Amino acid sequence: MEKKRVFVTGAGIVSALGAGVEATCQALLKGETGIGRIQHLPTGHTEFPAGEVKMTNREMAQMLGLSYPHDELRNVLLGILAAREAVESAGLSTDDISGAAFISGTTVGGMDKTERHFMNVFDSEAGTQEAVEMKYNDCGTTTDMTADSIGRFKFITTCSTACSSAANAIILGANLIKAGIVEIAVVGGAEALTKFHFNGFNTLMILDADICRPFDADRKGINLGEGAAYIVLESEESAKKRGAKILGELSGYANTCDAFHQTATSENGEGAYLAMRKALDMAGISPDAVDYVNAHGTGTPNNDICELAAMERVWGHRLPHFSSTKTFTGHTTSASGSIEAVIALLAINRGFIPANLGWNTPMKEGVAPVRETITDTEVNVVVDNSFGFGGNDSSLVFSKYRE
Amino acid sequence: MENRCYIRSMAQVSCQTPLCDEWLATPRRYESGYARAVEPNSKGLIMPAEARRMSKILKRTVCTSITALNASGIEHPDAIITGTGMGCMENTEKFAIDLCKYGESCLKPTLFMQSTHNTISSLIAIILKCHGYNNTYTHGGGSFENALFDAWLQIKGDMIRNALVGAHDEVTPFMYLVMGNTHPEYRFVSETSVSAMVSSSKGSEQDIEIADVRILSRSSAEEVAELLSAETDPVIMLGVNGNDANDARYRKLLGSLGWQPATLQYKETFGENYSASAIGFYASATMLREGKFPDFMRYAGVLPENPDRITIINNPEGDTWTLIRLKKETSCGN
Repeated sequence: MEKKRVFVTGAGIVSALGAGVEATCQALLKGETGIGRIQHLPTGHTEFPAGEVKMTNREMAQMLGLSYPHDELRNVLLGILAAREAVESAGLSTDDISGAAFISGTTVGGMDKTERHFMNVFDSEAGTQEAVEMKYNDCGTTTDMTADSIGRFKFITTCSTACSSAANAIILGANLIKAGIVEIAVVGGAEALTKFHFNGFNTLMILDADICRPFDADRKGINLGEGAAYIVLESEESAKKRGAKILGELSGYANTCDAFHQTATSENGEGAYLAMRKALDMAGISPDAVDYVNAHGTGTPNNDICELAAMERVWGHRLPHFSSTKTFTGHTTSASGSIEAVIALLAINRGFIPANLGWNTPMKEGVAPVRETITDTEVNVVVDNSFGFGGNDSSLVFSKYRE
Repeated sequence: MENRCYIRSMAQVSCQTPLCDEWLATPRRYESGYARAVEPNSKGLIMPAEARRMSKILKRTVCTSITALNASGIEHPDAIITGTGMGCMENTEKFAIDLCKYGESCLKPTLFMQSTHNTISSLIAIILKCHGYNNTYTHGGGSFENALFDAWLQIKGDMIRNALVGAHDEVTPFMYLVMGNTHPEYRFVSETSVSAMVSSSKGSEQDIEIADVRILSRSSAEEVAELLSAETDPVIMLGVNGNDANDARYRKLLGSLGWQPATLQYKETFGENYSASAIGFYASATMLREGKFPDFMRYAGVLPENPDRITIINNPEGDTWTLIRLKKETSCGN
């Protein structure tokens, strides 16, 4: 089952860096972060910067030609924006879609809308029509709405493993293709900022009031972000038959569990280590052949030290180039796995390694992430890490396409 | 050759007597439209100090998981895969109420930490120290089948040998009130926790085989009917509940068959929620294994003598269908 190859033939993305693969690429090359002062989320905690998508729900709905109930769900609007680009860039026909899978990762789903209606419904003991507004807000429904706006997919589901949700959606898609259940899978994730998880992260005291500094000795925590990204996975046979442009190969992947704590990572990064190790084993790629690690790198004291420990278990003290692009997008939580997968594919196709912005002080001697974007370089293999609360750790290996 | 996939053990918490199959002989009956689950005795399954810190859904999850695991003869599952429509609802609700009532200060971190859907799967991994595959599906009333499908696919493809698969949903009183508007087709709402150890190898001769699992996301009743036959699907477990809007879709499926299967039901006895179909799975496998098909579980048609297979059809909403085929190996060895 594992011998079948899985290619990437389309990509779509929206984040604080803008809408679309091209806008994302330009921002990464210029080294311009999308993180800034909060404009849209109705929170009092404006002391924390965030990676917001710089469009209102209304603006996105108009751009997409959507109305009620889609226009009230930011997760769905972001998801459709990215999924449409992915499907269009892959050149999928209506027939292709009806035989394909759509798998999305999300954790808060339509919580933004729930927040707006919750107290009215709660106080009225649900007797009002307003309770109907709760119907569209669970994770599964937001995925359905996103998928159905694209076409009639034959397999639709939602992975919810917190910050590795999108990576696990990608893994399921690859397994479906290898098992011959589908030839094409549109996979990724979407997450909109909500007061619920913004405040949740704040109760854990892991938000940074400055721009985040992953892998810096002085790092203070996360800047949350939002966005969506989907990639189109396709079997070799189907991609060749359609004459699809191949953006890269998903050559390896693994889902493991740290099995240590709901919100903390084990000191030796056991789950993270196993995820990277097993993903490289599946790819049949030696660690030395890895050109770039797009780290999970949230900027919390706990994540970064443990991720580094795990990387040292894989590579010893000669680490490959690594960076956290959360310094550009903020931590897009459930969407981060696919947002960073698109960045990994850009690195491979455009030959650059994005910077870990804002880094100054090493956590330990000799260990430094990529400080300035490296351009005009050959990138053949990228490891993309996504680690979630609950120790849900997943790693993906993307390789440059070869016959 | 492809692996086969067997159910080594199962455990349930619902509105029926927990962690046993007592409902088969003496089902509890409810008059109202909503019943909370009968809480299991967690003694011997969870340390009392830990149990006090857990929300209802987490306690039920640990109880069904450990009970299923103990009965399976497998200590460390290769994978832990959970389906849940709403995740840890009680904690989510409490955090949301605090947020709305008291604003953005003084919120409790524990409520947030234990509010996500994946809290369930990861808690089991932490307790069992399982570093293997760990995933959570949340896709409305089909969440259980998504989780089972993932396990089944990986067992068939030899990626794992076994998996602890579960589906868990709690329904708070507030959520029940909301459901009156969001799910008017529900007749009797209750809560579900089901855990099952599935494996490529049998633990005993009586273990039921999971012969097929299909996720049919955008399919019409007619398209689903085309997948069924009198030979492979003589007995069908339906998600009917006595409500016309709900049952009409199942009737349409049956009307498209061109033959008459024997049909069974479970929602009258176990109630409705996003994980309800996991109880349909559990009840089907239990009835097959025990060879007992009580009258209150029957819906229509004539049950064949000693049925050796049940097909579970779930249509949680509109054109979303799922199918599970269970099979008992008979002494003549088919």
